[in-house]
Amino acid sequence: MSFTRVRTLAIFVSISLTSGCANLVSGITSQMANDLSDSILNSEDVDTVREGIPAYLLLVDSFLRSSPDSQDLLLAASSLNGSFAILVEDEDRVRLLSDKSIAYAEQAACVGRARLCDLRGKDFKVFERELEQLTEDDVPVAYSLAVAWVGWIQANSADWAAIAELGKAKLLMSKVISMNENYENGGPHLYMGGLETILPASLGGKPEKGRAHFEKALAINNDYLMTRVVFAEQYARLVFDQALHDRLLREVVDANPIVEGMTLTNRIAQARARDLLQSSSDYF
Amino acid sequence: MFIRLALLFAIFVSLAAAPLAEAATYKIATISPDGLSWMKKLRDGVAEISQRTDGRVKFKIYPGGVQGDDETVLRKMRIGQLHGGAVAAGSLTRFFPDLQIYNLPLQFRNNDEVSHIRGKMDQMIAEGLEDAGIVTFHLTETGFAYLLSGEPVQTVADLKDLKAWIPDGDPIAAELVKAFDISPIPLNITDVLAGLQTGLINAVVAPPSVALALQWHNHVSYVTDLPLVYIYSMLAMDSKSFNRIGDADKVIVREVMSRVFTEVETETRLDNEKAFQALSTIGIERVSVPEESLKEWLSVAEASISQLIESGEISPGSVEKYLANLKAYRDEKGEEGAD
Repeated sequence: MSFTRVRTLAIFVSISLTSGCANLVSGITSQMANDLSDSILNSEDVDTVREGIPAYLLLVDSFLRSSPDSQDLLLAASSLNGSFAILVEDEDRVRLLSDKSIAYAEQAACVGRARLCDLRGKDFKVFERELEQLTEDDVPVAYSLAVAWVGWIQANSADWAAIAELGKAKLLMSKVISMNENYENGGPHLYMGGLETILPASLGGKPEKGRAHFEKALAINNDYLMTRVVFAEQYARLVFDQALHDRLLREVVDANPIVEGMTLTNRIAQARARDLLQSSSDYF
Repeated sequence: MFIRLALLFAIFVSLAAAPLAEAATYKIATISPDGLSWMKKLRDGVAEISQRTDGRVKFKIYPGGVQGDDETVLRKMRIGQLHGGAVAAGSLTRFFPDLQIYNLPLQFRNNDEVSHIRGKMDQMIAEGLEDAGIVTFHLTETGFAYLLSGEPVQTVADLKDLKAWIPDGDPIAAELVKAFDISPIPLNITDVLAGLQTGLINAVVAPPSVALALQWHNHVSYVTDLPLVYIYSMLAMDSKSFNRIGDADKVIVREVMSRVFTEVETETRLDNEKAFQALSTIGIERVSVPEESLKEWLSVAEASISQLIESGEISPGSVEKYLANLKAYRDEKGEEGAD
């Protein structure tokens, strides 16, 4: 009973509708993708985005039909599917989206970056050795793969074989940090903060390492409100620090969410922060 | 002066022992992280208790080991800082050593046997603990622990080369290791992953779900298809605290908590089966034990049980009763007896 099911743990990581769509395809299409991506990221209306993104996903799928080997497009498709999964409640649909997200990321990994190709299924020792060979050029693909992987594990957490992959996904994210910790506005630190705070210290988790990652993510990007939310929900609740929990969340609620490229996720973060604050006195 | 002090003390004691008329909050702790399925069930259960007792009985849950490990939780229960904890059965051995009958090595062969024997003997364990001041609810399965190792293990002789992790301060594990002539490496559970990574240990005995959740599986290649030890847990409350609850409310607490932990157990059992299957899915090879080797495993296990009885770790009466029940069940099923 005591620790049999890490699987339902909230590896509640950020929603990261990346601006990776910027390089989708060339010319007019690229400009359209750029504009669309900017509109989504800067939207204040979460519901409209939730309803509108499926059309955008279809659009990206259609682009991929004509450019199946475009790494940028594959990475954008992976990111979009994975991010949208966080806005969806139906578990079957979340699994479907996360399946697509990781499939696109793996496909992107095999287009040009041989060391990252088919990495996922490799034996752990081989996996470790392959990671040692990665260079900074591998960061965009490695990061996208790690993000999609964590999302996929979360969506499939009822499957022990999926839980079994967590160690590898974590190692990959850790490698990204060692190559470029500032990538994607400190996203790798946010994810590692989440991953290090899945288990309590009593079961071998490293909450204090997690805290350091969250703090680093904040130092890199203080405007991304989701970092504080995950910090509060994952770390402060784990170590039972109500003062920190409530402070972080109040900062989120009081902040101006309108920040270029982050407005949408900041709005989502504020809604989540209000929910968490409401349940604070029950939890602590 | 002495008399007055004694009187004062008596008044305090009687006040403490009297059922509380007003609402009380009972603090319970566990090392398990929040957010797990069983924790959600527990939270729903305590909400139901609060509602059905009109707020007279409330529980505050401290998850994730924030109140310390099982030993610390039990110590805090003794001094009244906590009122209960969801703890591993092994941590309660000093209150009632015979609760270890279910942990005897290589005795239970499968879940059917577990269900049958527990139906007959759980009550004895609950009463034994209650006599020692611990109130429990439905005992809850953690599952069978298997040997996961870097090299295949089929025979008792194969064990000799293993550097196996054993949990700190666990008498059954220690006895098992001695009987099977394994090199024991006692470690806290928090250090097992690092131990496997560095090669300090190359084998663990654990339920597959635990090995997967804690990512130990990345450092082993084989699982021996033999359920070595049955492990269980329980919600334990200090009886002084429990007895402060009014009689009618006690009935509600017992009913809800027993139901919650029965549901948790059903889910855990299914989960353990899936976890065992998942080991094969991810490429951990299942090593079966041939019939002739099994006899050797069983005879060593029996010797270790005799040793446990001799050293006073467990009473012969309870062991005999347990083995007799097991034998009767196997006879009824037309299987080979317990011996």
